[in-house]
Amino acid sequence: MSTIDTLKAAFEASLTPTPSVISIGLAIVLLIPIILHFIFSATTPYTTLPSVLLVGPSGAGKTALLTLFERGPLYHNNNPAVPTPVAETHTSQTPSTVELAVSTDRPTTTYRTDLDATGATAKKFLLIDTPGHPKLRRHALAHLASPSATITPSLLVSPAAQKGEGAETSKSKLKALVFLVDAAALADTDSAALSSTAEYLYDVLLTLQRRFLRRSGSRAPSNVPVLVAANKLDLFTALPAALVKSQLEAELSRIRKTRSKGLLDSGEADGEVVGGEEGEGWLGAVGSDKFSFKEMVEFDIEVEVIGGNVVGDGPGADKWWKWIGERI
Amino acid sequence: MLDAFEIISTSGVVLWSRTYAPVSPSVVDNFISDVFIEEKSTVAGAKDGASATVNPPYKHEQHSLRWTFSKELGIIFVAVYRSLLHLPWIDKLVDNIKAIFVSLYGDQLKKPNTMIVECVKFDEYFDQQLQELEQGSGKPDARAFIVEEISGTGEDGPPLSFSLAHNQKAQTNPSAESSPTATPNASRPATPGASHLLVAKAGPGGKLSRRARKIQNSPSAPVSSGDEATARKGKPAKTVKRGRKWDADGLADERDDVQLDYSIPAVTSDSEAEAGARPAAVEEVDASTWGSRTKGKFVLRDLGDEVHSILADADAKNAAAKTDFQSGIVGSSLSAIGGLFRNVVGGKVLTKQDLEKAMKGMEEHLLKKNVAREAAVRLCEGVEMELVGVKTGNFESINSRIQKAMEASLTRMLTPTSSLDLLREIDSITSPPAASLRKARPYVISIVGVNGVGKSTNLSKICFFLLQNQYKVLIAAGDTFRSGAVEQLAVHVRNLKELTAREGGKVELYQKGYGKDAAAVAKDAVAFAAQEGFDVVLIDTAGRRHNDQRLMSSLEKFAKFAQPDKILMVGEALVGTDSVAQARNFNAAFGSGRSLDGFIISKCDTVGDMVGTLVSIVHATNVPVLFVGVGQHYSDLRNFSVKWAVEKLLSST
Repeated sequence: MSTIDTLKAAFEASLTPTPSVISIGLAIVLLIPIILHFIFSATTPYTTLPSVLLVGPSGAGKTALLTLFERGPLYHNNNPAVPTPVAETHTSQTPSTVELAVSTDRPTTTYRTDLDATGATAKKFLLIDTPGHPKLRRHALAHLASPSATITPSLLVSPAAQKGEGAETSKSKLKALVFLVDAAALADTDSAALSSTAEYLYDVLLTLQRRFLRRSGSRAPSNVPVLVAANKLDLFTALPAALVKSQLEAELSRIRKTRSKGLLDSGEADGEVVGGEEGEGWLGAVGSDKFSFKEMVEFDIEVEVIGGNVVGDGPGADKWWKWIGERI
Repeated sequence: MLDAFEIISTSGVVLWSRTYAPVSPSVVDNFISDVFIEEKSTVAGAKDGASATVNPPYKHEQHSLRWTFSKELGIIFVAVYRSLLHLPWIDKLVDNIKAIFVSLYGDQLKKPNTMIVECVKFDEYFDQQLQELEQGSGKPDARAFIVEEISGTGEDGPPLSFSLAHNQKAQTNPSAESSPTATPNASRPATPGASHLLVAKAGPGGKLSRRARKIQNSPSAPVSSGDEATARKGKPAKTVKRGRKWDADGLADERDDVQLDYSIPAVTSDSEAEAGARPAAVEEVDASTWGSRTKGKFVLRDLGDEVHSILADADAKNAAAKTDFQSGIVGSSLSAIGGLFRNVVGGKVLTKQDLEKAMKGMEEHLLKKNVAREAAVRLCEGVEMELVGVKTGNFESINSRIQKAMEASLTRMLTPTSSLDLLREIDSITSPPAASLRKARPYVISIVGVNGVGKSTNLSKICFFLLQNQYKVLIAAGDTFRSGAVEQLAVHVRNLKELTAREGGKVELYQKGYGKDAAAVAKDAVAFAAQEGFDVVLIDTAGRRHNDQRLMSSLEKFAKFAQPDKILMVGEALVGTDSVAQARNFNAAFGSGRSLDGFIISKCDTVGDMVGTLVSIVHATNVPVLFVGVGQHYSDLRNFSVKWAVEKLLSST
């Protein structure tokens, strides 16, 4: 009986409008949202890091470049975890993301310098590697197409390989795109390397161009500069960067010509072309005969070709790193 | 022997590898793209975390690969060896390595935004496993000898403990410790001060190495191991005696024993060289393992224990997972309510039971879209495998998650590995670049298929498309069997001539009447086209039933004679489950070196949304669909768009 009485008393007390009850109630009402806010803000990462996308055909050296940049500072400090500057790589199946940092105040630093040790102010960014296998290219292209230019790394990563919760909610702003090319394979005119590389580049550039054309008036999407990185210049047979550029331009104009004459895609009826705009499927300036990367400036896409190599002796990857650093 | 062992993440980075013989990286690259990306060799089940015994071995040229895959962490474990060798322990090795690696470095692998995994120390674990398994698989006679030797070491109790005491002393000597790969041979002159310590250890060290060597030898040279064993039988006894003497006399006598003890490894290595069975490089590897073993006997023991406990843990976990699964079926009511709530709100970790019902629905849906059951089951199994253990997003129901996964899976299946730009390909054949060594020749396309699917119609559609692009086309009437087939083509040619007269294309018919050998007609047509300067030759063939061996066998000869650049098969969208068999039989009909290059799916306008035939034939052959026919006119030919097909397949009306 006594317990019921005490409970009853406590219940009555909690309902009487005494100052203490009111203050406790107010405290609860005010504090709960604040606490909830902190809980949620702690679980979701706040900052959005800018990101750089690595694309290119299979075997061009995307994953190798990624590991080179990531392991650079560790390897040069003789970290035991990193026995080699570049990891061996195989065909990728899933995209991968790596957090890197560039120095903002010292332009002379390379990817090898440990920014913590030099005390430079650094800017972090995400480098996203995409699989180059033709069946998996949609990973890269689907995200280039969205006009907001934000990439959600978790969407890029297939559910099978989602690593941790942290990556799931963070969105990242696409700042630049690096298209890796195997310069040694391009030199072989009989192989299909040139045409398949150019085809992929064509798709990438066309997606960027469409994105620009479909921008919503007031808020133009940030431009995405493209670096065509001619890799494997350490090999004797590799083409120099200037030749890579001219070869790609020639091949791109050929693709542009045949595509315009090709069959329609299924699902597109004769009358209504998707988008409806003239020149949607035409890369570069309408009416020009030969394609050149300069035409892309019209769509706010700046294309640059720089040579380098990931492994072996040669110009190295410093120039690419510098280019990325300038765009971040 | 094992050629290489690699641990690769799905993002393509080699996390850890060990190479015994150089293996071209393209072997593993091909393995990944065939098994994981194109899913060629395995129908389903490539994605689950099954052990290496279940996964079929992948063969590439002279190498065989055994592999297993950890879905949760996204890592692949591959062992590469020569196909000629029979290694019974290889499955076990792959599985054990997986268990050990996952338990040791699983946490590191889950870290976001980094690719670096610190696994330099994994070498030791791997060596331990390899040794243990090789030991376990030794020939019976060899095993008997091992037992004998182990008992021998048991007798050696005192000297062993003596040498171990020295071992601890030796650890104070940094130079001896820091060079684990140095053989006793090499380290002796370098560190004269520590020589007696090394000598003391040489006794058990020599024994160990001999045992190991014999184990390695025994599978490869069982005959020689017999007489070697008799030769060696005397020696252990000798060492045992010496050892006891040391124990009694103390350190002073050691100088005398230096040569004797040292001679044992030397003798064994000599006999090994005499055997000549292995090259110098392998012997070096052996030597280095001696070194590490002599120095680190204790370490090895500990490692062995650790590895065993890890493996036992992994087994226990598997067993626990199974029992969990059973109790999960019962399911408490509370969790059921929570599950329902989660189903609406999202953030639910999917289990097999959750998916079961929804997957059944998805399978039904696909079957309704005219997908063959075989293909539907494979797709659903793949999606289910992918989704088990995945957390749904916020406010995402299971069904929408499955829809998404199915879309991705269909897209991946239908997307061709190499895209086709027909016009550019024709250009590169008919007018090759100046630098190339190829000669200009006409581009040959031949069209095959079952009776009445629309071979001639689609051929004339392609012809119309080529004529619009100002090519000179020769149509070869390869159907020398059915009455009216040649006349039918002649009518097409006449129409096409009229239609494209203004645009500058040129089309001719090449025909030899009825009853001739189709392959010979095709060959003559190609030669004629090369002579007359045609750009493209389109060869029509007679329709044939895919399960009639007599008719199908002539296709092989046809492919050999005409040497077509592209063999396209026409399949109609109307056909149901039979499409799988049709595609398979036609794909196999051209002999070992040749297969179909693409499909044309005709009559797509007559089936509406039910374009499942597309999926069935790609599932059966891995050959891409190139064109779809969407109407009766010459212009009603379309490039195949994957997006369009996936949308149609998943639309629910």
